[in-house]
Amino acid sequence: MTLEFDRSILGTEFDRTAFAPISAEEIRVYAAASGEPCPAPDVAPPTFVLRQRGDRFMPANIAKLGRVGFDAGKDIDFGVPVRVGDVLTAVSTVHDIYEKTGRSGSMGFLILRTELTNQHGEQVAVIDQKMMFR
Amino acid sequence: MILDLHSHSDASEDSRAPVETYLKWLTRKRDVLPIDGIVLTEHRQWNPTADYRRLEDQYGVLILRGAEVETDYGHMLIYGVTDDMTRRFDFANVRLPAQEVVTGVQQLGGIAVPCHPGRPTIGLCEHYDTKPPLDGVVAVEALNGGSRRGENERVQALIDRHGYQAVGGSDSHLVSFIGICATEFDAAIRTIDDLVAALYRGGYRPVDFRDRLKKVA
Repeated sequence: MTLEFDRSILGTEFDRTAFAPISAEEIRVYAAASGEPCPAPDVAPPTFVLRQRGDRFMPANIAKLGRVGFDAGKDIDFGVPVRVGDVLTAVSTVHDIYEKTGRSGSMGFLILRTELTNQHGEQVAVIDQKMMFR
Repeated sequence: MILDLHSHSDASEDSRAPVETYLKWLTRKRDVLPIDGIVLTEHRQWNPTADYRRLEDQYGVLILRGAEVETDYGHMLIYGVTDDMTRRFDFANVRLPAQEVVTGVQQLGGIAVPCHPGRPTIGLCEHYDTKPPLDGVVAVEALNGGSRRGENERVQALIDRHGYQAVGGSDSHLVSFIGICATEFDAAIRTIDDLVAALYRGGYRPVDFRDRLKKVA
C-alpha cells in the first residue's frame, strides 16, 4: 500500500465537544466498572478521561487509508485530575499519518490527538489514539 | 569492546523505553551483560539535536546514534548520519532505493548495514531471491534479538555466499531487551566515526547473551 493524503490535514481540528458538568455518579459508575479506585473523594480515576470522547471520531474528509483498520492503542499524557463539577472540552486533531513496513508488509498509521481541558483552561489530558490500516 | 548496534528508545513510535532506563538496566545487569555502549537507531528519523552526553557521563555507557531506514530491499541500519545524508535521503520514506542508500551513505562517510536479513518482507534474504544483490554491502546483522525462530539461521547462507561480515544487535524496544545481542569489536570505539571505520575494516563478531541471562533469571 502507498499512503496518499493531503498533508495539510495534519493539525487541523475536526471536532470540538463541550461536555456537561461531571457528576459524582458518573465517576462512581466508572470506578466500579473499571475497578480503578478514585485517588481521592470527588476525584476521578486517571483513565476516566478516555470516557470523554468527542462527537466525531474521525475527520469527515480523510482519504481512505486502507481496506481494514483496527485500534492500535493509546498514549495518554495526564494533566490535572478530573473533579466532580468539572466542565471538560475535547478538541480533536489529526496529529500524524505515517507508513511503516514489517514482516507482514506495509501498514499505515493514523494518530488522532484529543486534548481535554477543564473550565479553568487547565490541561486534563492529551490522548493519542493510534489506528492501523492496511 | 562490546556495543549493542541496534536499539530503539521512546523516540521511535513503537518503543516505550527511555534511554536513561536502558542505562539503569545495563548498570544493574553489568555482571551478565558486559555492554560498553549502545547505538540508538530510531525508526525512519534522525534528530540532529539529540544529546546524551550527560547520561553517558552519569552511567559510563557509550551512546552513539544511527537510524533504521526502510528500503526496497528491507530495513537498514545507518551509522555515521550527516546533514548531507538527511538532505539526500528522506528517512521517513519506506521505499528508499536500497542501492542508492548503500552507495550514497558510503560516499557521505557512513555505512548502511542491512538488519534482520532473514525476516520475511523486510529482510535482505527474501529480496535476494528475486532481485540482484546489492553492490557495496560490507556487513549484515546476522544476530538480531527480535528475530523469530529460523530468521537468524537464514542469514548464514547469505554471509557464506556473499562474504559479508556479521554484526549483532538487540533491536530492543523494551528495557529488558537491551544488550541481549551485541557486537564485539577488537578495536576501541569512542565515536561514531570510529564505529564506521571499524565496520569497514573488520575485526568484529556478533555476541549473544540470552543464554547467560536465562541462567541467572
